[in-house]
Amino acid sequence: MALTLGETAEKVPVPPVAGGRRRRPPGAVVSDHLRSRWQLWLMLAPAIALTVVFAYVPMYGLQLAFREFDFAQGLTGGDWVGLAYFRQFFASPLFWDLLRNTVAISLTTLVVGFVAPIALALVVNQVVGRRRKRFLQTATYLPHFISIVVVVGMLQVFLNPATGVLPRSLGLLGVEGGNLLGSTSAFVPVYVISEVWQHCGWNSIIYLAALASVDPQLYEAARVDGASRAQTVRHIDLPALVPTMIVLLILNMGGVLNAGFEKVFLLQNPLNLPVSEVISTYAYKIGILSSQFSYATAIGLFNTLINFVFLVVTNQVAKRVSNTSLW
Amino acid sequence: MARTPRTPSAAPGGEARPRRSRRALRTGAAALVAPALLVAGCTGGGDDEGGEAGGSSTLDVLVVKHPLTKGMDEMAWVKTLEEEAGVTLNWEEVSADWDQKKSTMLAAGDVPDLVIGTNVITDSDLATYGSLFVDLSEHMDALPNVQAMFEEVDGAEQTATQTDGSVYALPRWKQAWPQAITRQYINQQWLDALGLEMPTTFDELYDVLLAFKTEDANGNGDPDDEIPLDWAPVATTGWGYFQPSALLGGTGLPISGGGGTGYFVEDGTVGNWLADERWKEVLLFLERANAAGLVSTNVMTQDYSAYQSVGRGSGDDATVGMSWGWTSSDRFGAQLAPQYASMAPVLSEPGVEPTWSWDFENLTPNHILLSAQSDAIDAGLRVIDAFYDEDLSVQTLFGDEGEYVTKTGEGAYEVLPPADGTSDPSTWKWTNSLADASPGWIREETQLVLPTDLAEAVEQSAPLEPALANVDPDEDVWPPYIKMSAADLSTLSLNNTTLLNLTQNAFAQFVTNGGVEAGWDDYVASLEAAGLQQNIDLYQQYYDASEG
Repeated sequence: MALTLGETAEKVPVPPVAGGRRRRPPGAVVSDHLRSRWQLWLMLAPAIALTVVFAYVPMYGLQLAFREFDFAQGLTGGDWVGLAYFRQFFASPLFWDLLRNTVAISLTTLVVGFVAPIALALVVNQVVGRRRKRFLQTATYLPHFISIVVVVGMLQVFLNPATGVLPRSLGLLGVEGGNLLGSTSAFVPVYVISEVWQHCGWNSIIYLAALASVDPQLYEAARVDGASRAQTVRHIDLPALVPTMIVLLILNMGGVLNAGFEKVFLLQNPLNLPVSEVISTYAYKIGILSSQFSYATAIGLFNTLINFVFLVVTNQVAKRVSNTSLW
Repeated sequence: MARTPRTPSAAPGGEARPRRSRRALRTGAAALVAPALLVAGCTGGGDDEGGEAGGSSTLDVLVVKHPLTKGMDEMAWVKTLEEEAGVTLNWEEVSADWDQKKSTMLAAGDVPDLVIGTNVITDSDLATYGSLFVDLSEHMDALPNVQAMFEEVDGAEQTATQTDGSVYALPRWKQAWPQAITRQYINQQWLDALGLEMPTTFDELYDVLLAFKTEDANGNGDPDDEIPLDWAPVATTGWGYFQPSALLGGTGLPISGGGGTGYFVEDGTVGNWLADERWKEVLLFLERANAAGLVSTNVMTQDYSAYQSVGRGSGDDATVGMSWGWTSSDRFGAQLAPQYASMAPVLSEPGVEPTWSWDFENLTPNHILLSAQSDAIDAGLRVIDAFYDEDLSVQTLFGDEGEYVTKTGEGAYEVLPPADGTSDPSTWKWTNSLADASPGWIREETQLVLPTDLAEAVEQSAPLEPALANVDPDEDVWPPYIKMSAADLSTLSLNNTTLLNLTQNAFAQFVTNGGVEAGWDDYVASLEAAGLQQNIDLYQQYYDASEG
């Protein structure tokens, strides 16, 4: 990944400075640093500016979660109500349902969506012939560019209990599929499988890049030693992917409660509502449709906090177990 | 953004240090300034006023129009309007993302002279930003057309008036639209082919639908391709048009707007039909129909386009027996429309006095507002009044006189059919003028020869007339102009979100999996626990206050 400040400092030769560096005040160290590496900071400046303006500055709006929003007073002018909106959310009769549904959808997506691209990358990597490999790769990542609305439209057509391809073919085989779009037990599988179908190819690109960087000498040596294909995959390809896998897993864990809003909302109908109402759709209904901005902010903040905790915990575990981590 | 620093020159050793540090300082400053510039880029802009000061009357007008609508400078009525009011109009046309633009515009307090569109600035916006606009109630002398509309049209003035008595935004009123949006259709050709009578009660309807199902009603040789009953997708956020809430009409329960969040008024008492015994009767009927396979298998999960395309059948073979829609040609397509007949509400049991959903398509709120910062208030008032002129109201709705509308006499107009031969009349209307987005007043006494789709809707509303006559708009309809406090709205919507989560799923489960009789009491108890009574009490309080 990108070099951190510390790493950059190690790699860029520091011009020798007169006098003992340790005894110098911290201000001088910083100005030395800036003096010798201002070009790097300059290049970073637009990115830093964007992050500050669009990620940190808006955070002042978070106080909305602790205030009673008042149109006339603006974002920060409402009365301070403390944790009232959080308590309201925890006391809501829907709270546990929402949490259960959100975790079920996002955790399944996370696990399946994590394993599938790795498997795909390993398979694509085994395909012999440049053109075939390219074709397979392109074919698998193309669905990534279909918009969510269209994907849901396709699901509606394919799974239509009366005319859909899937229920009809199942019917021919004598299997009574029922209404996959409305069934509470089919909602998560339908969501996850279509999600994996759509994004698996795209997500495998990064693994393919990691595999491309494996030293060909390793494969040759393995072949000389008489390793089978499966053994090559097991002992060369997989270990080469582990650092990438862990970084991606940590990043994904940061979104553990982020069951995507659009797709869930589009797939939602009165029949599958008990499993398809998630935190984000509830926040939309309460926040946008009913103008309860403070309450929706509190729900969003709660969501983010849980995600943050997951991110930190996974990172620490990864650090202990495999010595790979984000920070 | 940041200035490109000059490449460091090979400076003589002695000078190198101070120059470098100065440069570092400059870079640092640039890095600091960059976000500030970004912020300025976000909030700035539009500070320079376009409107001319003094008596010169050039008005900036923001109009929120349909994406199909052609440019304002292509509409001839705009010239007439400018001449009549003696102004020059400078249009800003918005057809997407208005909500986002609006909130920044209001927050910045930077409002053009006039703002036009359907509910373009809502009542809740006005609660906060009302002071940005002119209180028109103080200028009624300059608005004779508007004053006349307030006098003649029931509810127009109440709709326009905010809780504090001010009038910032004016509604539009158009006669000729049918009172109800939803009409009920049955395939008359199928009835005739099977020798059946038009059903009038739930039991008769059940038998008719069963015959549709078991026999080859459309006569194409396949007895299994008929869908006896189909309705528009029911949202998880509330009830609307063309949905089975329409069956409530046969139980005598008066709903409005297709059902909304379930609250209704009956003889001055507020209730929620989603917990009403009469809704249970409808559910029982739907459960029975579904168990017999009379309801489309996809009814709970299809989207609106699927619902529409199924209704159009294939070729001359209709697929759907009974359904709801705006007009039969809109619902079933021009080819199949003649097969369908519009029908009166089907009674839950003989002797019930039927009702029908009371909709508000004729009176829509907040169509035009005048900025309080405008330099030319008088000119703005003239423009507003001109919009409510009879001639212009017809033209803003249907298009320019001569090309899209012919004036056949004093106060008499004929709307011409689409000239391109392929558009339907409502698409045509939206293409050529502001249509329903414009402010205006189509008077009760205006003689209009309506475009075919409207004429069709009016004609097919006939069977509903007796049922609508049973609804007393003063006692049985929630007045749409009631304005509530923010705190109460918050309570209501919190409870409603939970309630709808329960009711919409219960509806789907009851219909597809049955168990209405056994599950009804638990269902109602769960609604009570979710705050149903609290909401009903609140609504009742506001209703009483508005009536008293």
